[in-house]
This record gives sequence, structure tokens and C-alpha cells, in this order.
Amino acid sequence: MAPFFSLSPHHPITRLPPDMLSVIVRRLVSLPFVLVSVTFLTFIIGFLAPGDPILTMMGNQRDPAVYENLRHLYGLDLPWYEQYWRYLQGLLHGDLGMSYRYAQRPVSELLSGGVAVSLSLGGVALGLSLLLGIPIGMFAAFRHNRWGERLTMAPMLALFAIPSFVLIPILQWINFHFYGRGWPSLPAAGWGTPQNWVMPVIVLAAGNLGYLSRLTRANVLDVLGQDYVRTARGKGLPESIVRTTHVLRNAMLPIVTVIGPAVAFLVTGAFVVESLFSIPGVGFLSVQAVQQRDYPVIQGTVVVLTVAVVLMNLATDLAYSLLDPRVRLDR
Amino acid sequence: MTERRALVVEAVEPVPHEPLPGALGVRKAESLATLFWRRFGRNALAVTGLVVMAGVILIALFGPSLMMADPNTIDYTAINSLPNGKHPLGTDNLGRDTLARLISGLRVSLLVAGYVELLDIALGVTLGLAAGYLGGKVDFVITRIADVLFAFPGLLLAILVAAIFGEAATDRFGGIGRLALVAGALSLVSWPLMTRLVRSQTLSIREREYVLAAESLGANRRRILWRHVAPQLLGLVVTTVTLNVSGVIINEAVLSLLGLGIQPPDSSLGKMISYAIPYLESNTLQVAVPSAMLMTIVLAVSFLGDGLRDAFAE
Amino acid sequence: MKDLTHANLSRRSLLAAGGALLATPLLTSSAPRALTQDAGGGPIRWSLTGVSDLVSLDPAKASDQQGFTVIAMLYGGLVKLDAKLLVVPSLAESWSVSDDGLTYTFTLRDGITFSDGTPITADDVVWTFNHALDPKTGGWTGPYYFTLIDGADEMAAGTATEVSGVKKIDDATVAITIKQPSAYCLSSLSAGPSKILSKAAAADPANEGKVTSGPFMLKRWNRGQGLGLAPNPNFYEPVTGVSELNFIFNQDSETGYQLYRTGEVDILGSSQDPVPASRVPEVQDSPDFRSTPAFNTRYVAFNNTIAPFDDVTLRQALAHAVDRDTLANAVLGGTVSPTERILPAGFPASDLPITGLAFDPAAGKELLAKAGIDPATFTFTLSYGVEGDNERVVTVLQSMWQENLGIAVKLEPLELATFSSRLNDTYQDPTNGLQAYYSIWGADYPDPQNFLSTQLQTDVGNNNGHWSNADFDTLTKEADTTVEDFAKRADLYNQAEQIAVDQVGWLPLFNAKVNVLVRDCIEGIEVTGMDYQFPEWSALVGCP
Repeated sequence: MAPFFSLSPHHPITRLPPDMLSVIVRRLVSLPFVLVSVTFLTFIIGFLAPGDPILTMMGNQRDPAVYENLRHLYGLDLPWYEQYWRYLQGLLHGDLGMSYRYAQRPVSELLSGGVAVSLSLGGVALGLSLLLGIPIGMFAAFRHNRWGERLTMAPMLALFAIPSFVLIPILQWINFHFYGRGWPSLPAAGWGTPQNWVMPVIVLAAGNLGYLSRLTRANVLDVLGQDYVRTARGKGLPESIVRTTHVLRNAMLPIVTVIGPAVAFLVTGAFVVESLFSIPGVGFLSVQAVQQRDYPVIQGTVVVLTVAVVLMNLATDLAYSLLDPRVRLDR
Repeated sequence: MTERRALVVEAVEPVPHEPLPGALGVRKAESLATLFWRRFGRNALAVTGLVVMAGVILIALFGPSLMMADPNTIDYTAINSLPNGKHPLGTDNLGRDTLARLISGLRVSLLVAGYVELLDIALGVTLGLAAGYLGGKVDFVITRIADVLFAFPGLLLAILVAAIFGEAATDRFGGIGRLALVAGALSLVSWPLMTRLVRSQTLSIREREYVLAAESLGANRRRILWRHVAPQLLGLVVTTVTLNVSGVIINEAVLSLLGLGIQPPDSSLGKMISYAIPYLESNTLQVAVPSAMLMTIVLAVSFLGDGLRDAFAE
Repeated sequence: MKDLTHANLSRRSLLAAGGALLATPLLTSSAPRALTQDAGGGPIRWSLTGVSDLVSLDPAKASDQQGFTVIAMLYGGLVKLDAKLLVVPSLAESWSVSDDGLTYTFTLRDGITFSDGTPITADDVVWTFNHALDPKTGGWTGPYYFTLIDGADEMAAGTATEVSGVKKIDDATVAITIKQPSAYCLSSLSAGPSKILSKAAAADPANEGKVTSGPFMLKRWNRGQGLGLAPNPNFYEPVTGVSELNFIFNQDSETGYQLYRTGEVDILGSSQDPVPASRVPEVQDSPDFRSTPAFNTRYVAFNNTIAPFDDVTLRQALAHAVDRDTLANAVLGGTVSPTERILPAGFPASDLPITGLAFDPAAGKELLAKAGIDPATFTFTLSYGVEGDNERVVTVLQSMWQENLGIAVKLEPLELATFSSRLNDTYQDPTNGLQAYYSIWGADYPDPQNFLSTQLQTDVGNNNGHWSNADFDTLTKEADTTVEDFAKRADLYNQAEQIAVDQVGWLPLFNAKVNVLVRDCIEGIEVTGMDYQFPEWSALVGCP
């Protein structure tokens, strides 16, 4: 039998609060190593991959002198280690290099506008799907194995299973019929007005909503089976308090976990939405850069996203301890 | 992978914790299994999911050999035609029989989905368990590698792998060879999310009383991992698979659109949908049929997964 | 669903509608403007499809077709093309050619200025050419278009500091010397990077697109979204009928179409990114829809120096086994025109007939047997870049070769950049190259030289499969340097083209069409095989 009375050194009661500062410092110190690793990995894969940025740009106009000149201009004639070293040196000075495709435009300039667009669009969509998904998931969990659950979860799954490249033409078709009848309609594409946000947010949020509501439902079900919930109910606490303070809080752990990496996926994953709604985000830019082998742009997105992901993951790890005081990162 | 949903999230559905060690007394594995299936059998939705999935898999396995029409036969006189006696579900934009292509595409999609999920589970769960349970340096290293891979451009890796090994894979395994290769390569860099989810759950589980108790009793780590922590994640693994299936099937279409996926004239569900999309308004059925199949798979797998989870948890 | 929802439909000028319907390839039928009382029209909104942003507005750096569309609005060249694609004066009001055909002397229009009011002088012209060829500029279109000019190659290679062939005579006169007499010299000067820039303004990159020599000037550039252009009041032939020209970037042509049908775009489509084929049936009866054969040809080419495709009989057998009519009309729904020749319909010299290798499976089988090939064991790989409807086309080819010859062809889809690098491998090292590939060529300027000599002369850069024929080379080289007599040139090119068709230098399949939508109320735009032309800038009028 387990000796419940003996306090192990790891027991929450005797444990000191985790030294958050040391966790933060270690993570920030590791950031440069993470950046060097990811840029090197990206560089070497790109270096080995077939396709030549200059040839891709020039097509069949194969003038050897011009080709060599362009390679020299972009430093592509250097040995691979020197190319990478030069990139790292630039990075150290905050210089992300210049795009091959966009005629030597600085990568930082190319990305700056797009990152803001992608993050704000993705953020709104994520916020909306959290706002709707968590209550829907909770509703379903509290009606587990009843019709309430089945009737909410089936549409959520359907939303989740529709690819964005199917959902978008359907929305466009509906919107066109509104337009044709003279009813209020939305701009079919573009960026800059509040109306431009509506359809992209719907599409981005639809998939997330399916995910997050399923995730919430699953976690709430898990927590409902835990001892402390039974205890809380047993103590006669009002059900509404049990649900919000005990259940929801503990069910948030995995949801918080996915918000960190979501930053990267929101940016790179939105490329279908960006390209079909002509939104000037970085999702499309990063895919296009891979197709055109515009290495500085690829590296630029990788660097920006990696920094974002590392910081977000750090924030989520710290949030674990707040949501579930038993969790320790420094063990 | 490129066409990610804006947020590729995987479900965590840990089973409520196992009864305390020893509390159950000694139970025979046999009777546990019997109990499990009895619980599962009570859930009508789950049983339906199981039956539908079994049917879908049987169709994928044996359908192609029973088909009257050849999925790759082009009929110039029946391009984009509506359902008729000869083509029960109509034809695509090359006059090929939609039903025949659906069945042969189903096989490709299921194969890829199953195989990618297996890789994801093997890598994601192992690393997540190690990071969450062992903690310390192991956790630090694994989570830093994960940080590196989150923003890594997998598409570039896919291009490299397709170029170097693509031809050999096609020669050996046919139209699906290169796709399997590329999808496998992408799995090698897409485990971090699963890892983080498993880790987050393990971090919480390892501080629960019964784990701490077992530790203080001096049980060895491997035993604790297998007896006390891993079983808690069983439900999570099952549920994760159910949510990821549609993502994998759709992503396969995007790989094909970029020239990295299935080789023509072979088909897959995702590719059928994406190639029919321009004709959404003029020949809706060509989009609707493979989409409905995708939806059926997702719903069936999810209900099946829910049933399995509940049976574990009770 | 017919798309006739445009609000201006009722106000449409019937005469203009007639003009649009009668518009035939290369034939200008300027829509009469009699019914339009007010000269000043509103803005024109123009979808630039296939891009999320432009490479550059510096003609020397731009490399995308969409960029050159905008550049043609911003800058004037010495010469330009009219709606019949003939070379006519632009910033140069006249020119003379020396007796040896090597020196072109251009006289600039009197008193012309850039949009900032500074005069356009010979110095600016000379600087423009040097800038386009300077290795430090980092462009590649200059060296490609100007290779005919004396000293251009040296400048591009960095062995000269200025182009010896472009000289200022006086402030209003420039002499351009070329290496060999050429009938297409003027034509190539209408295209690409030969737009005149202000030397003074170029010192500040912020002026890009703002100090212009053409009908419009840049007002704003919303990165990733679009550009706003205003008429340049200092242009020699000012645009008064359009208040603003708004270019909207759309990566996807379907998105452009959605904007068109919800009334947010007035011009959609180009030879490169036409109206989506799936949408053509619903718009083809609309007065906005215009269609003309594009100056591009889709073809299959072979690796001609190694087995099996070093055998012309095999190539001919394959050519006879392709039913182009079915491909173009049944499969692609008539959105393209089948062809058995290299020059696109409507292209100069394409009026002379060619006897193609027509669809004839029996002849194909016979040739196959003659080549000693057993179709049961023979196979080859056809590679292609995955884009647009390429996969449909090659799948059809695969099925036709199977059905008509019994050959099982393997298809190899390649990601686009991989495809372009594999083409380069094929050129550099045929033994490690592709066996056969599906590709496209589109005209840079309307001259047969641009299709025949630059594509199929022995070892030229575009001739990836190293097809080679001595007679073809002799004929095309003679035609390239024949200047005065176009009939004679056309005849030489025709003989050469017949050789390339007979010997299957290319296996031509079809010509695309420039399927575009231009709001019926817009006047003064002509749609040609080389996209949009503006015969008279003063005739350009936007919708009211």
C-alpha cells in the first residue's frame, strides 16, 4: 500500500515555488543556439535541395556571364560554409540579408508588414475560436453521451474536416449570390477594410473551432473524473463554481500547450487563405520563397517564427505552473 | 508540411487516472479486455464508427479488384459528366469514372494517413514521455530540438527528399512510392507538437500522488513509466489519431499540387477534391463525393476513438 | 450562371459592343467613342494575377510579366508596338538606319519631359541602356534583350564600363549600333527593359516609379496589395480619360474572377494567367469577354542527342499519335487552339502554311516499327512542372500514346524549381538529363526569330534537348540578318519551321488563348496575342 502520509521530497506541500527566473534565463540563453541550429539546418537542406534561385528566376535565358554575375552578386559562388558564415554574421547585426527574387529588397522590409498582418489575422481567428470553442467543448462534455454532445460535436468535426480550399469557394459562391441580389455582400478579396477580415477569419476560425472544441471536451471529461472534482462537489460547492474554477482551469493545460506553436502555424499555415483572399501576409510569401529558392526570405521567416515560438513556449511552460501548481519544470 | 490548418492541434484526452497500484488486486489481462469490449459495445455511436471504418477499409482493400470501371481510363466523350448508368457518380475533368477513382484514391489516402500517424505516435509519444517524465537535461534537449523544428520549412526537406530518392521510390513502389517517402520525411520533422502535448500531460501526471508514492517506494523508473504514466496517455494517443487523420489526407493533396505527392494518373481523396474545386459551381458532385468520403472517415474515426477512450476510462 | 451583373450594363454603348465582338486577332477595331459625351472616365481597376507583389518597378531589375505590364504604363520606350504589333514611334519621334543596317539613329520628340518636368535627353537614354546592362544592377533581362547591341555582352560580363553601341549624338539624338543587320532590332527595343529612365532621379531609390517617362506615374505602392497610378500630365500624349489606374495583386486567377464578378475589378487576365478555364463557359457570351490566340506554344521536347530520342523516326511516331484536336477541344474545352506548328496563329510569318505531322495512328505504328521499337517493352519518362492544367495535358498524352502506339509512358511530376534545374542539367549534361519534357514558350517580341532562332538553333540557350539541324541553322541565320524584305524573311523562316516540324525539334500541341475580361465601358484597350496594347493613350477612357 502506498504510504500517503509520508511526504516525499517532491510532494507539492513541501516543494518550494519553482524558480521561474532560472527557467526564463536558461531559455533565453538557449535561444541563440536554437537559432543557429535552425538556420543551419535550413541552410544545409536548401543548399542540397535541387533548384537554383538564379535559374528559377531567369528561366531559360541561359547566358553564362549573366548567370555568374548574379551568383556573385548574391554570394552564391562562395563555398557553402562561407555563405552560412556570412549569413550568421549578418544575423548578429540584425541583418536578414536581401531577397533574390525581389531584386535585392531587404528581407526585413519584405517581412515586416506581412508578419503584422499574419499575426493580427491569425490572432483574431484564434481568439474567436477559443471564445467559441471552449464553451462549446464544455457544453459537450457536460452532456457526455447525450444528444447535446452528439449534436454539437458532429458539426464541429465537419467544420474541422472541410479543407480551407473547399470552404473558401463555397463562401465566395454564397457571397456572390448576395451581391447578385443586391443584398449586403463582402469584398471577395483584398485587405485594409474591416469587411476584408470577415471571410478569412471565418475560414481560419472554422478549422480551429473544430480542433479546440474537441480538445476542450476531451480535457473536461478527463478532469471530471479526477478526485479533486469529486471532492469539491462532495464539499457542496455550487456546480457553477466547480465548473469554472476546478474543471475549466485544470482542463486548460493542453489548450495552453497548443497556443505556443500555434504562432508558427498561424503564420505559415494560413497560406491558402492568404493566397485565395489576396492577403499580404507572410504565409504565402514563405511558401513562394521555398518554390523560388529565395533562401534569405526562407531564413528570414524561419528566424522570426523561431523566436516567436521559443518565447511562446516559454510563456506556456510558465503558465503550466499557474494552472496546475503541481507541475514543476525544474525537476 | 505546407497546408496546415491554421492551427494544427492534437487532442489530449488522458484517461482519468488509473486506480491506485494494488487497489485492483490481481486482475487477469483477459478479463480486462472482456470488460473493455463490453463497455465499448454499449456505445452505439462507437460501434457504428467501427463498422463504418471496417467497411471503408474493406472497400479500400478489395474494392479496386471488384470495380467494373478502370480508374484511369479516359473518356473524351464524357468529360465532367453527371451520374448516369455507366458512371454512377459521374466523371472528372478527364472523363474518368469518379466511383472507380474514389475507391482507388481511398486506398492511397488511408495508407498514407495510417503510416504518417504511426510515425507521429512513435516519435511524438516516446520523446514527449521522456521529456516530461525524466525532466532535467533530457527535457531541456528534447524541447529545444522541438523549438528548432516548429518553424523549420518542411517543404524544403520534402523537395530535397523527393529529388534525391523520389525516382528510386517510384520505381520500387509505384505511384505511391514517392508520396510515402515525402510524407515519411515530413513526419520526421512534425513530431514536436505531439511531443509537447504528451510532455505537458506527463508533467502533470508525474506529480500525482500514486506516481510519487510508487517512486518513494523505490519502484524503478521504467516500471513507473510503463505501469503508471504510459497508460494514462493511451486515451490521448487514440484521440490524437482521430483528429489528425483529416489533416494528413488534406496535406497529401497539397503535396500533390506542388508536384511532391502521388504520381499521376493515380489518385487520392485530397487530390480529387483539389482538382475538382475549379468546377465546384458547374459540377458540384466531383467535389462533394470525395469530400463526403473524407467527412465520413473523420466522423467514423472520431466516434470510434471516443468509444475507445470511454471504454478505457470507465 | 451567366455573369451579366455588372451595374454599367445598361449604359453600354452598342457600337462599342459591336467593336469588341468583331475584334479579331491583330486587327484593331477601335471602338467608336461617339456615344460617350464626357471625355473623363473614372478609375480603372486592373487585376494583376499570379503575383503577391512585384519584383521591382525598375525596368532593368524586373523579371516578371506582371511587373512589365505595370512598367509599360509608367515608362515610355524609344519605340512601341501598335495594336497590329508593328513598331511605331514613341519617345523617339523618328529614326533612320544606316546603309549597312548597323546603326539606328533616333531623334527624340521635341520638348518631352519626365513626370517631374525635367527634360528627357539623350543622356538619359544612354544611361538607361548602361544601367540595364551593368552587372551591379543585378538584372538579367537587359543582357537578354540587348545582346544584339554592340558592346552589350562586354558590359554585362563586366569587361567594359560602358556600352560601346549606344552613343549620344546631341541632346536629342542617340545612335545605337548593332552587331549584325537585324529586322527584329526595333521590335526588341519595344520590349522589356528598354524603357527610358531619368538618370538624375535614379540616384534616389525612393523615386522608383515616381519620376516616369510614360503615360502614368506611381502614386502609391501598397506592398503585397497593389499599386495606384495617376496620369502623368507631362507625357507627350496625356491620358485624360482615366482618373486613376489601380493594379490589384491576386495570387490566384479564381480570386481575380471573384473580384470581377462582384464588381471590384474592371480588367482581368493575361496571356500568362487568363480567365480560369472553368469560368470561360459562363462569361464567353458577355460583352466584356475578349479572346484572341496568345503568342505562346505548348510543346513536348526530347533529349535529342542520346537514345532513344536521337532517332527522328521515334519522335515522328509519337507526333503522329497525338490527337491534338481532342486534347484542345474535348479535354480543354476549346480554351486553347490545337496546333501542329511552332509559330502561333497570328504571329508574323504564320500565314505561310506548314504541313504538320497530323494525327495518324497507323502512320505512327508504322514509324515505330521502322524505328525497331517493340512497344510492349519500350518505355520512357515524360517530365513536367506541376502547375495549372499541365497534369491534365500529360495524362492525356500518356493515354494517347498507350492507346495509339501501345507505349506505356511514365509521367514524372516535378516541383517547378526542380523542373527548371533539371532542364538545365539536360542542357549541360544530356546523359543525366530528362528524356522528354512538356514545356511552353511565349513571345518576348513579335518576330519569328524569337520563336525559331532563339529556341532551336544548334546549342542556343533555350534548346535544352540539343536538337540540331544544319539546314535549319543556315536558313534561320540568313533570315535573322535579312532586313529589308519581310516576304523573303518570312519565306526563309517558313522553310526552317517546316524542317523543325518534320524532324520534330518540338512536338507542338496547342496555342493558348488570351482570354480576358475588360469592362465593356472601357475604351482604347486592344487585346492582342501579346496581351494589352494601347494604340493611342489619349483614347484610353475608363468607365464613367
